Amino acid sequence: MAGKILLCRCEDVTLADLEHCVSRGYRDIEEVKRYTGFGTGPCQGKECLAPVATQLARLTSKAPAEIRPFTSRPPLAPTPIKVLARAPDAHRFEDEGGAAPVEEASTKPRSDEGP
Amino acid sequence: MWEQVRRPCGRDIGNANLSGVARRLPAHDAARGEAVEVRIADQSVRAFAHESIAAAAFASGARVLSRSLKYHRPRTFFCLEGHCSGCLVRLGGVPNLRACQSPCSAGAEVEGQNAFPSAEVDLLGAVDFLFSRGLDHHTLMTGSSVLNRLANKVVRQLSGLGKLPASAPSELPDVAERNIDVCVIGGGPAGLAAATACAHRGRRTLLVDDQLRPGGSLRTDPRAGRDHAEEIWANTQHAGVEVLPRSTAIGFFPEDDGGVVAIAAPDQLYRVHARAWIWATGGYVVNLPFIENDRPGVIAARAVGRLLVDHGILAGDKICIVQVPQVAEDAEALATALAAAGAEVARVDLANTFGARGRSWVSGIDTTQGRIDCDLVAVAAIPSPASEGPRQQGCKVVLDPDAGGFRVVVDEHGKTSTQGVWAAGDVTGYMGPQRAAADGARVGANVAASLD
Repeated sequence: MAGKILLCRCEDVTLADLEHCVSRGYRDIEEVKRYTGFGTGPCQGKECLAPVATQLARLTSKAPAEIRPFTSRPPLAPTPIKVLARAPDAHRFEDEGGAAPVEEASTKPRSDEGP
Repeated sequence: MWEQVRRPCGRDIGNANLSGVARRLPAHDAARGEAVEVRIADQSVRAFAHESIAAAAFASGARVLSRSLKYHRPRTFFCLEGHCSGCLVRLGGVPNLRACQSPCSAGAEVEGQNAFPSAEVDLLGAVDFLFSRGLDHHTLMTGSSVLNRLANKVVRQLSGLGKLPASAPSELPDVAERNIDVCVIGGGPAGLAAATACAHRGRRTLLVDDQLRPGGSLRTDPRAGRDHAEEIWANTQHAGVEVLPRSTAIGFFPEDDGGVVAIAAPDQLYRVHARAWIWATGGYVVNLPFIENDRPGVIAARAVGRLLVDHGILAGDKICIVQVPQVAEDAEALATALAAAGAEVARVDLANTFGARGRSWVSGIDTTQGRIDCDLVAVAAIPSPASEGPRQQGCKVVLDPDAGGFRVVVDEHGKTSTQGVWAAGDVTGYMGPQRAAADGARVGANVAASLD
C-alpha cells in the first residue's frame, strides 16, 4: 500500500523525507533538524525526537548511543507571551527604554551538545 | 463546521464507511461534575465540568480539530496529555491553545484553526495529493527568482499556526518567587511519590504538574484507576506539598540568581530556586512508523486509556491496538478493560502491520494476516523519556530505544550527572506506573536525606 509514514506530525516530516535528507549527506541530528524542520513545531520534539533519532541510527548504521539529541532550549512548551511579559528582564527592557543588556552566555558545555 | 458523526442505528459497526462514535459510560456519570454547555464551531455541545474541551468534543462527535502545517492533513488529538500539536484550537479568541488541557467552563467558545474554510473541509488539503511523494521546500521553485518570490508569498499564506488574538490581554500576570528545598517536576506516579516522601521528611517541597489534574499515567491505567489517582494526589497534598497544577517548567536559566527554573501557570509566572531538583516528567507517548499513521482516529493507547479511566468515555466500538512487544502487558490490560466496557478489541504487533485505512477517520488496519476493520486505532509504543528539562540542566542522557528514547542517566540513588539534580520514574527509562511510584518514593527519600 502507498502512503506517507509520518515521523513529525507538527511539521509533516515523513520517513521518506528523512531518507532523502540522509541521502543528501545530512547525517547529524542537528543537520536533519535544520533540513527537514522536524522538532521545530509546537511539540518541540516531544513526539518526534526519539522516533527520528532511532530511524537515523538505523539509516546511518550508527550505534544508538552515538546519536545525541538536539539542543533543548526554553520555552519547553508553548507559553502565552503574556505570562512572560512581566518577567524581570522584560521590566529592565521597559525601564531602560532600550534593549536589555546582553548577558554573557554560559560557557559551560551542555551534555546534549555532544563531544 | 466540524465533522459530526452520528451513531448509525441497527447497522453493522464493522462497515468500513462508517465511523463509530465515542460514548460516555453511565457508570462514570457521578464523577463527571456538573453539566455545562460549551460552543464548538458555532454549535452548542453538552459537556461536563471535569472534562477537557478535547474529551467533550470527541464524545459529542466533533472529530477533526485542525489541519497540519504543510500538507494540511486532518488532525485530531493524539496524546490527550498536552504535548502533541493535534488539538490546537482557538479558545475565547486566543489561538493555539490545547483543547485537551482546557477545562469545559460554561460558555466557552471553541473554533478550529489552520484551515480554509474549515478544519473539516479544507481546500488546502490538495497539497497532500499534489505532493504525494513528499515536498522538499529547499528545491521547490528555486529555478527562477521571480517564481521563487511568488512561491514564498504563497507558502507564507498557507503555513503558520493560527491567527493573532482579536485583542490584547487586559491584565498581565504577576511574577512570583519560590525559594524551597525540593522542586519536583511532574505529578505522575513517580513525582507524587517523590514529593510526598520529601514532605514527610520535613522538606519544603513544590510539585509542578502540567495536566488539568495531577496523576499522570495513573489516570490512564485501568489497573490503577481514577480513584487511586485521586487518593495518591490527596495524600501528596496532606503531606504538605505545595502543588502547582496546570503549570509547566518551561526552562532553566543558569545565569539568573544562581539558577532559576521558570514555571508557567495559566495566569502566573513563577521563578523557582531550589536546593534540589527531581525530574519526574515521565515519558511522552509517541507514534509508531506504519503507513498513514497520522490518520485521525489513530491515537495513543494511553489517550484511549485516559478517556476510559479518567473520563469514562469509550473511544470506539471496534478498537485495534498496534503494539510493540515491550509494552504488550500494558496493551493487554487496556484491551481487557476496553472489552469489559463493551468494545470489540483486536491487537496486532507493529512487525505485522502495513498501515491504516480511511481518510477523514480511520476505518481499518492492513496486516500480514489481512484487513482488520475498526473505528479507532490505539498505538502502544514505549513512551519517550521527557528529558529536555534535565538536558537544560546539563544532565547526561543516552539514546536507548528499549527505554523509549533519550533517557536520563542516573546512579543507583537516582542522582544525575549534575550536582543537586535527580530523576525518577519513566524519564530514566520506561518502567510503568507501579514501578515508577516505587522509584519516586525511593529517590524522594534519598533527596531528603541528602539535604541534612
